[in-house]
Amino acid sequence: MAAIVSISDVYKDYHLDKVVVPALRGITLDVHHGEFISIAGPSGSGKTTLLNLIGCVDTATRGVVSVAGQDTGKLPESKLTDLRLNTIGFIFQSFNLVAVLDVFQNVEFPLLLQGKLSAAERRKRVMGLLEQVGLANHARHRPSELSGGQRQRVAVARALVTQPQIVLADEPTANLDSTTGQNIIDLMRELNQKQGTTFIFSTHDPKVMKHAQAVVMIADGRITGRTTPEAAALHAAGGAH
Amino acid sequence: MVTKLRVLLQIAWRNLFASWLNVIIGLVILGGTFLVVVGGSALDSLDRSMSRSIIGSVSGDLQVYAASSKDKLSLFGQMGGGDADLTPIPSFARVKEVLMKVPNVRAVVPMGAANAIITSGNTVDVMLARLRDAQKRMQAGDASAKAEVDSLKAHVHHIVQVLKEDRKNADKLVDESAKDPRAEEAIERVSKDEFWAEFDQDPFGSLEYLENRIAPLLSDGQMAFLRYFGTDLDAFAQAFDRLQIVDGQMVPQGHRGMLLPKFFYEESFKLKHARRLDLIKEEIEENHATIAKNADLQRMVRENMTQPREILFQLDPLKTKEAAARLQKSLKTNETDLEKLLVQLFDTNDQNFQEHYRIFYSDLAPLLELYRLRIGDSIPIRTYSRSGYAHSANVKVWGTFNFKGLEKSPLAGVAAPMDLITFRELYGYMSPERRTELERIKQAAGAQDISREDAEAALFGGSGEDAAGTEGATTAIDEAALFDSGGAARAEETTFTQADIDNGIFINAAVMLKDPGALSQTIQDIQAASDANGLGLKVATWQEAAGIIGQFVQYLRYALYVIAIIIFLVAMLILSNAVLMATLQRVREIGTMRAIGAQRGFVRMMIAIETLALGTAFGGTGLALGAGLVALVGHSGIPAVSRQLYFFFGGPRWFPEVSVTNMVIAYGIVLVVSILSTLYPAMIATRVSPVVAMASDE
Ligand SMILES: Nc1ncnc2c1ncn2[C@@H]1O[C@H](COP(=O)(O)OP(=O)(O)OP(=O)(O)O)[C@@H](O)[C@H]1O
Ligand SMILES: [Mg+2]
Repeated sequence: MAAIVSISDVYKDYHLDKVVVPALRGITLDVHHGEFISIAGPSGSGKTTLLNLIGCVDTATRGVVSVAGQDTGKLPESKLTDLRLNTIGFIFQSFNLVAVLDVFQNVEFPLLLQGKLSAAERRKRVMGLLEQVGLANHARHRPSELSGGQRQRVAVARALVTQPQIVLADEPTANLDSTTGQNIIDLMRELNQKQGTTFIFSTHDPKVMKHAQAVVMIADGRITGRTTPEAAALHAAGGAH
Repeated sequence: MVTKLRVLLQIAWRNLFASWLNVIIGLVILGGTFLVVVGGSALDSLDRSMSRSIIGSVSGDLQVYAASSKDKLSLFGQMGGGDADLTPIPSFARVKEVLMKVPNVRAVVPMGAANAIITSGNTVDVMLARLRDAQKRMQAGDASAKAEVDSLKAHVHHIVQVLKEDRKNADKLVDESAKDPRAEEAIERVSKDEFWAEFDQDPFGSLEYLENRIAPLLSDGQMAFLRYFGTDLDAFAQAFDRLQIVDGQMVPQGHRGMLLPKFFYEESFKLKHARRLDLIKEEIEENHATIAKNADLQRMVRENMTQPREILFQLDPLKTKEAAARLQKSLKTNETDLEKLLVQLFDTNDQNFQEHYRIFYSDLAPLLELYRLRIGDSIPIRTYSRSGYAHSANVKVWGTFNFKGLEKSPLAGVAAPMDLITFRELYGYMSPERRTELERIKQAAGAQDISREDAEAALFGGSGEDAAGTEGATTAIDEAALFDSGGAARAEETTFTQADIDNGIFINAAVMLKDPGALSQTIQDIQAASDANGLGLKVATWQEAAGIIGQFVQYLRYALYVIAIIIFLVAMLILSNAVLMATLQRVREIGTMRAIGAQRGFVRMMIAIETLALGTAFGGTGLALGAGLVALVGHSGIPAVSRQLYFFFGGPRWFPEVSVTNMVIAYGIVLVVSILSTLYPAMIATRVSPVVAMASDE
């Protein structure tokens, strides 16, 4: 099966007042369709940076990042935006819902940007997803009226509403208590299995890692290994000492 | 696209009150709209009311004058004071005939304005002129004139005695050497009874002595600047139908003479004390001023108290006694001296003013000559034409007038309408043929041979001192001879016909329209008619013709525009900053939208639509508030608190109205400013990287 994300020998430098901060130093990674992968590593190891490159919100300093068969380094900004809109879904650490829109409108938002579906179709799609994340009753609530877990579920629904090939989640559980976090990961896994959507998420949390099919270990901007969740959890627990 | 717009509007609407910044932005927009609506409506209404004033009292809807004129027509006179140099147009009849054929023209009124300085003689001058007149009548066999002569003689004698008393008091303060011995001698001589006993032996010699030696010692004579315009008086009264006669009567058809503006008459000819009392009363009653607090009123009270002379001079011994007796009774005092009684009468404060005002008018005024110039008297008017010749005429004042609704305005009726025939004489127009004829006569007769006395006698019926020099007077009679073939008789009493009015020169003409709305079309029509008939006319709107005053509103409008532009520039800066700050507060939201697939254009639209929504909501509120205020004020009206305002307000109260154009313009400006002020913030917003969405909370 062809890789949906293909990263080869990628470097990413940040420039901070003439100081060059190397965030990624030669990463090579393939992610295949339908995978449920966790990226794990200590703080500052480059998890977010890697996800940014995969998510087309940033481009590599060196190396090739290919998403859905497109070399992101060669695409203009507007094409990258299209790619984000149609191929990728995002779940953020701090939910990032639009405060002035209600739950339904937040989930519907990417569909409006796409402008492909009729109002009825959109409605069906949005309500279907809200059903799946268990928030059908909250469609007309504002984000501020929801708990953190509920908000993140709205975000999950929003990420999936365009039926993207890949969903990226940068520490989706970091702002949630552990039970709620577990539930979100369970929800993601369920959607992954039902719809075959590829999920790539980063986390520190061994409890979260263990739901993944595979864990990509990253440290100091380099991949240190690709293991099973159990091994990774052990490693993470060990590393914590 | 439509759905995108819908969500944008939704976001914009929800965002309206989401941040205090938006409230600030909104208030700036609200204030701006409010200002433009109120200011614009005020100006529009002012424009309308003022145009009513000017059109109805001065200019008519349009003015025509010779295109070949050096200057532009300026009905209120030019900036420097002089008159615009306009070429006279030879025949009014022809112009009238052509213009009346233009469909929208209702009336054409010939005009021509000029300035003159007139003097209203001092009290003694006036007395002596009457004495001379009565003396003449007595000699001509009018027996009833005898009593008048005696009374006037007693009166002048009395004045001289008051004058002598005055000077005696003043002497105590003045150095001996500063005294004029000739003046002392004259007063001494005239105050003695012998002078009056001998008066009848040489009445005219005595009169001349009084005129030359005593009259100059009194300094209460007044010069006044008079602006007058010649016109077809009947046509004028008909076209400017707000004209109303206040004193006297309209100049009868075919007669020479003029009307004085009521305001001018009051200001220039009324007894100063009475005028001041009137002004104080007006201030108190209309502006709720108090003597205690108003320095101007205090000054007028003081002037009335310190200058009782003017009144004392007016009263002969009999009347002096009568006046003293009346004041004594009304003021409830034992004082017998009239001068002291007058001081008491004029010593007014807020408590006794109304009472003293009443006493003045009921007790004193009937004994006085309240106006230096009586309606029916003539004023000598002397002008200098551009050719340098002097022209004089005695012009009879038939009455005073003002314009309905503009009674209090000194600007409405700044000029005295005069019959066109007299005007032409004063204007001294000479056709080239006449000029050569005049030269020929001059050479043939030898200009020096015409004696000055004869010239004056012919011109003024023998009255008046000539200050203009022999040359002016000499030529004046030559011209007078050319103008009215009669020449010698009192010109002011000759009559004329409508044909005389129409077949002669005029300077400019007021054109009244049937439909004033079709102004620009009519201007074109008139211009075309003039060109087709070779009249060589130039057409000016009332606004152009009224010069500075007509353009006053225009200037106000420019000022408002400048202020509005400054306000909007400032508003734009504030708005731009506020929108930028509001944008920066939402960087995460914008970054998120960008991350999940919103293009830059979407972000730009979002910012623009949000500001537009603010503009619509708050601008609309400002619009409503502004229109509401104007409507409210327009309902009850704003009172004209100063005399000048009467003119600009078109009457005693001003009723501003809201115009739809104004509201549309105001709204348009607000929206444009809103959009412009989002340009920079929107640009910044589009640069927000989607990366910020991924960054964890600080
Ligand atoms: N915008 C930036 N400018 C400069 N340096 C950056 C920037 N973003 C990240 N870095 C640096 O790059 C390195 C990798 O950062 P990154 O955020 O990818 O790590 P991370 O694994 O996501 O860490 P965390 O677990 O704390 O989220 C770090 O050293 C970080 O300081
Ligand atoms: Mg991170």
